[in-house]
Amino acid sequence: MSALVACLFATPLAYLAVRGLTEGGTLAAWTSGATVVPLARTLLLGVSVATASAVLGTALAWLVARTDLPGRRAARLLLPLPLVMPSFIAAFALVAAFAPGGLLAGLLEPVGVARLPAFEGFWGALYVLTLFTYPYVYLPVAARLGQLPASLEESARLLGRGPAAVFRTVVAPQAAGAVWAGTLLVFLYTISDFGAVQLLRYQTLTSSIYASRVFDRSGALAQSLLLGLLAVAVVAAERSATRGAGPGRLAAGARSLRVPLGRWRAAAVALVAGVVGLALVAPVGVLAFWAVRGLAAGSTRAGALVSDAGELALPAAHTAAMAVLAALVAVAAVLPVAYLTVRHASRLAGAANAVIVGGFALPGLVVALALAFWTLQAPWPLAALYQTEALLVFAYVVHFGSQALRASQVAVAGVPSRLDDAARTLGAGRLRRLRTVDLPLATPGLLAGAGLVLLSTMKELPATLLLAPPGFETLATRIWNATEDAYLADASLAALFLLALSGVLTWFLVVRRGNAPT
Amino acid sequence: MSRKSTVVALALLLALALAGCGSDRDALTIYSGRTQNLIGPLLEKFNKETGIAIDVKYGDSAELALLLDEEGDRTPADVFLSQSPGATGFLAGKGHLGQLDADVLGKVDTRFRNGDGRWVGISGRQRVLVYNSEQVTEAGLPDSVLDLTGDRFAGKVAIAPANGSFQDFVTAMRQLEGEDATQTWLKAMVANKPRTYANNNAIVEAVSRGEVAMGLVNHYYNYRFQQESPGTPSRNHTFADGDVGALVIPSTASVLAGSDKTEEASRFLHFLLTEESQRYFSDQTFEYPLVAGVPAASGLPPLASLHSPDYDVDALGGGLERTVELIRTSGFDGV
Repeated sequence: MSALVACLFATPLAYLAVRGLTEGGTLAAWTSGATVVPLARTLLLGVSVATASAVLGTALAWLVARTDLPGRRAARLLLPLPLVMPSFIAAFALVAAFAPGGLLAGLLEPVGVARLPAFEGFWGALYVLTLFTYPYVYLPVAARLGQLPASLEESARLLGRGPAAVFRTVVAPQAAGAVWAGTLLVFLYTISDFGAVQLLRYQTLTSSIYASRVFDRSGALAQSLLLGLLAVAVVAAERSATRGAGPGRLAAGARSLRVPLGRWRAAAVALVAGVVGLALVAPVGVLAFWAVRGLAAGSTRAGALVSDAGELALPAAHTAAMAVLAALVAVAAVLPVAYLTVRHASRLAGAANAVIVGGFALPGLVVALALAFWTLQAPWPLAALYQTEALLVFAYVVHFGSQALRASQVAVAGVPSRLDDAARTLGAGRLRRLRTVDLPLATPGLLAGAGLVLLSTMKELPATLLLAPPGFETLATRIWNATEDAYLADASLAALFLLALSGVLTWFLVVRRGNAPT
Repeated sequence: MSRKSTVVALALLLALALAGCGSDRDALTIYSGRTQNLIGPLLEKFNKETGIAIDVKYGDSAELALLLDEEGDRTPADVFLSQSPGATGFLAGKGHLGQLDADVLGKVDTRFRNGDGRWVGISGRQRVLVYNSEQVTEAGLPDSVLDLTGDRFAGKVAIAPANGSFQDFVTAMRQLEGEDATQTWLKAMVANKPRTYANNNAIVEAVSRGEVAMGLVNHYYNYRFQQESPGTPSRNHTFADGDVGALVIPSTASVLAGSDKTEEASRFLHFLLTEESQRYFSDQTFEYPLVAGVPAASGLPPLASLHSPDYDVDALGGGLERTVELIRTSGFDGV
């Protein structure tokens, strides 16, 4: 089962290897300055964004899951949402907001602020990508913390430790697995991001791949393969570093603990409000500004969204259907691998783990071309799937399966094996144990994983454009179409709609159900 | 697992069911690098007039070209519409494009179609220098793009080196000014510290904010920004007649070699070149109609008066590998 899953997930890497062999020039491309310099920038940005997101995401998760933070419910809904912003429109909006001469500068001018600092390059990319990716850490860590027994923390508090000390000595070690899992996803997202880095003018490996994709194809293929191998190497290193981590502790049904923030309350509220403000309110504000301006001006153009927003209904239905399907299939597909890696650390499981994670580091364009290549090579029943919704869902699963995998691994690791053993002693079969012990306890974590896949799928663009059946529109393709022509109002309307839809789906499928047990 | 697997099984069934009703096998399938906003209404009109059903896949021209190459003779596509001759030339070079009818080709001046009859231009875009009128006056702008290497433009020019239109422009420059002169110009531009951007949109947006004073783009982007943000200080400056900087580049239409609907495809190309469709391009997108006798949109100079330099448009397709290499070795960021 795991072997089959691994083979399916290996299709993009296998494509790159086959293409690399037929086109040649792989080694030459790897050692050329045109690869080495952007690769160094990719690594620098990846490590920096991963570190920043790990800190921010963990802090936010702890505040929401474990403290008496005012407005927790709102924060719980709002904090995952920056993940759904397609970076090509959100980065565009943030540049328009914060760059010199932009909207913020216009607002500040009357107050005497003459010129804002440049909003670009490494720092601009670090800022924007951290704001868009911290939910990768926030979601699994919040899910994990929601399940931790409160007893240890309570003891620590009774011994007179403050919130910070409790966090450091008790919470952090327990949540480490989830933090690692999320941080790895942030790293992979960052190294494969193209939309944000290109708009912020920071040239990474994906910029080189983009520039050479048609007219220096062997170079682009070699650089893509390098991204994939980088992901595999990082996963291998992570696994050997975290091997031997103890089994999770868990007391299901234990009432959760709320640490009173006391004098830290204002600072905590400021942090959460600041993050929501910069990652969500600022880009949404810009989009709303463009949308309202466009709605006020109206349009005579046929098919303009500002005159007929009903055009969004079908793309929205497509987006929701694909995202829910991809999320469900992804979790179901990676669950066996998650079990195998956590419960029986076999070589096969390690390999499956690596190829699944590798799919996330590859540009969506590569995933799409790889699936086109393999599907068209395949015999009849499979070849007939080309440019169908089924293949598109498969592409999303291959591309984003790692997000479900990491969350599932954390969830499965959180189920104490002694419960399983006890059930076995009582004569429960494998399936029954899975149903009555493992799945209920792992559900919040699995939902978090499904939520990540859901949100990523909703905004996915390059693979959707190439693999969707002709005429099949999603909100992301709509946004892209409008952005290409600089129809800012139309793009903004569609983006706001995408955000609202994501909010609703996140609420119903992830937040509400994930919280049910606590 | 049972409940979960039921859900998954249902989901897969749903996906397969959806798949069945996805595309229409008898429809004319178009891969379009031109966006839906622009081409969608024309497709509907063609469908109404002829009754020919259309399936369309929108995407980035270069990426669709890569997909078409991957699909080879199994492609479902019949027609490929591209933003630029570069992606089309790539496909022609790989033998993926079929021969077009002589009467389709005959509607467009030889300057804007392929010599082997593999593609035809359907609208024209001119290269211009977009500038911020609050930072520079038009009188201070050069007559030739070659002069942008001067000291007074140091750090002030925006370029999108990975963009197809910029690459087309460099290819034309190689042909008109020669390989050495082009290399010298590119290196002098790099030495003049240009600001590199992702694409034309990003340049016009940055110029209108005043982040950079001017930038090399296609002419129609600024019209679009003017419509969305009235009062923005971005303006187009056209280089002198015959200057390589004032190049007019066609967007293209072609028919796939493996298409089994060549007759319908041919009718569609005819339709794109009718006076009405050409007028639509001009009025809706401020692009230049390429069919003789169709006037450009009000506010635009007529195509005949543009004096785009005389160049062999086919070189835009064939010579791009070398162009990309030249741009890269000149030291531009982001290529």
